[in-house]
Amino acid sequence: MKKIYAFESKCLGCGLCEVYCRAAHSKSKDIIKAHKRENITSAIVIEEILQPKAVSYFALQCRHCSDPKCIKACISGAMYKDEDGIVRNKKEKCVGCLSCVLVCPFGAVRKSADGKTVAKCDLCIDYGLPACVDNCPNEAIKLLDDKEAEALK
Amino acid sequence: MKYLIIGNCAAGTSAAEAIRSKDKTGDITILSNESYPAYGRPLISYFLSGKVKPENMSYRDPSFYESRKISVLLNACAQKIDIKAKSVIADSGKKFDYDKLLIASGSVPFIPPIKNLANQKNVFSFLSYGDAQKIKEVINKDSKVIIAGGGLIGLKAAEGLFGKVRKITVVDLADRVMASVLDKPAADIIQNHIERNEIEFILNASITAVEGEQKVGRVVLSDSQELECDILIIAVGVRPNISLAKEAGIKTNKAIIVDKYMQTSQKDIYAAGDCVESVDLISNEHKILALWSNAVNQGETAGLNMAGVKHEAPTSFAMNAISFFGMQLISAGLICNTDYSYAFADSVANESKVRRLNIADDRLLGFVLINDFQRAGIYTDLINNNTKLSKLEYDIKSKDIGFNIYPRDIRKDKILGKKD
Repeated sequence: MKKIYAFESKCLGCGLCEVYCRAAHSKSKDIIKAHKRENITSAIVIEEILQPKAVSYFALQCRHCSDPKCIKACISGAMYKDEDGIVRNKKEKCVGCLSCVLVCPFGAVRKSADGKTVAKCDLCIDYGLPACVDNCPNEAIKLLDDKEAEALK
Repeated sequence: MKYLIIGNCAAGTSAAEAIRSKDKTGDITILSNESYPAYGRPLISYFLSGKVKPENMSYRDPSFYESRKISVLLNACAQKIDIKAKSVIADSGKKFDYDKLLIASGSVPFIPPIKNLANQKNVFSFLSYGDAQKIKEVINKDSKVIIAGGGLIGLKAAEGLFGKVRKITVVDLADRVMASVLDKPAADIIQNHIERNEIEFILNASITAVEGEQKVGRVVLSDSQELECDILIIAVGVRPNISLAKEAGIKTNKAIIVDKYMQTSQKDIYAAGDCVESVDLISNEHKILALWSNAVNQGETAGLNMAGVKHEAPTSFAMNAISFFGMQLISAGLICNTDYSYAFADSVANESKVRRLNIADDRLLGFVLINDFQRAGIYTDLINNNTKLSKLEYDIKSKDIGFNIYPRDIRKDKILGKKD
C-alpha cells in the first residue's frame, strides 16, 4: 500500500503540512476558516532534530502498521483497518479514552482538540492526494508505494 | 474442523477473527452467556452516563460475523466441558462438539462477605452491559448510591452516575483510590479531582453489613459508621472465571495456566484473556493481566494456533488509559512501591499536570502521566522493547518525548517498517 514518507534532508520545518492537514480534515476545507472557526487537530507531528550546529526537521504521521497496536487496544471498535490497509478511526464510535495513544510506538495518534476523539492520519482518503504531500513546498513529504519505499531501505 | 469459543468479548472475538483468517471453511461457533452481541466492555460507564448510545456499544458491526461466517449464540451459558467426548454442554442441555476449544470466559465480580447481603434487590455489580442497564433503570435524581470499591470499575461507575443521582459515596478498604494501579501521590491527585465533583470518599473502611429486608436501606462500615443507601454497587474486584476449566481437570493456579501458544494443560483446549495467567514482561511473574489489548492479543494467538499456525503470544505488562471528569490518566509498567528517579509537575500551567517516569538500570520500567499524555506510546514502546536509555538521543527526563528520541538509523528502520 502507499504510505507517506518524510525526507529529513529536505524538510524546512515550516509547518505547512500541519496547516493543510487541518484544512483537509475540516468542514470548510479552507485553511483560514479551519484554523479560526474549526478546532481541528493536525494528524502530523513535526519532529525537531537538534544537531551540534544545526536543526533539522521531519514530519511524522501514522505508519498504518501491518499489525496495528492501536486497533488491538481500542475498547470501542472505533479503530479499524479498511480494505486498503489504511488504519482509520470511526469518530462516531470513538470515546477518546486514549488507549490508542498509550500504545502507538510512533506517538502518531493525538487527542483531538475538543477532547472527544483522536486525530490520526487517514491518508486523506476523503480528500484525494494527501494534503500534506500535495502542499509541501520542498517535496519533503512523499506518497510512496511499497516498492518505492523498499528502495529507501 | 469445528472450532468452539466460550466467551464473546475481546479474546473470543479476536480468536474467531484469527481462525477465519487462516481457515476459510471450518465451523466457528461462539457461545455467549450474555444477551447482547460483543460490546466494548469498558464502555458500560459511558452508556450509564449517556455518552455512548446503545447503537454504538457493539464492538464489531453485524456484518463482521456474517461476512466471516461466525455463528454467535447468545444466552448460551456453557455448563460443562466433556474432555473425553470433546464437547461442551450448555445450560439448555444442548451439546456442542469441538475439535478445538477456546475458553475466553473472562472474569466474574468478587462479592465480599457482607452480612445480610443475600437476596437484596438493590445490589448490583458493574461488569457487564446488563449490569449497567439494570442500574440505569433503577436510579433517579433522589438516589443515594454507595459504591463499594474505589478501583477503576468503582470510579468509572461513580463518573457514569454523576449528575443522575443525589449522592454518590465510594467506600474502599485501601488508603487511596485505584490502589492496585497507583501509588499514593498519584492517587491523591485523582481523588481530589473527583471530589471536586461532589463524590464522597470513605477510605480505610469496608462495608461489613447491610440493613433492610429485600432492599438495602443502610450500610454499616468497619469503622461503625452507618450510611443511608438506595442503591449499592459492589465493585471491589473481579476473579477469573475458571470454574468450567477447573471442573474439567484443566490445570489452574489463580487463573488458567497456558503455554506461550495459549494452550492449556489439555490438548486442543486453549484459553485467553482475563481468565488466564500471563507472563508480566517487567517482573517476569505469572499474573492475571486483565487488559483489553492483552485479551485481544491472546485471543488472536489462540485462534492462530487453533487453526494450525504456530504463533507465540506477545508479552504484556500492566497499562491503563482512563479519564475521570476530564482528567486524563495514562500509566504503564511498574508504578507502585518504587523510587522515582524523576518526577515532574507543572505547577505553573496546571497544578494537576504530572509526568513521572520510573527509571532503573538504564531502562524505563513504568510511568504515570496525568493530563500530560501526548505521545505516551513512545514511552510504552521503550518499556516494551527494554530499550537502553543511554543509547537514545537525549535524556528522556529532560523534555517532552518525541520520535526524535531515537538515533537516525533506528528512526529510519522503524519508519520503514523493519523489524526491531
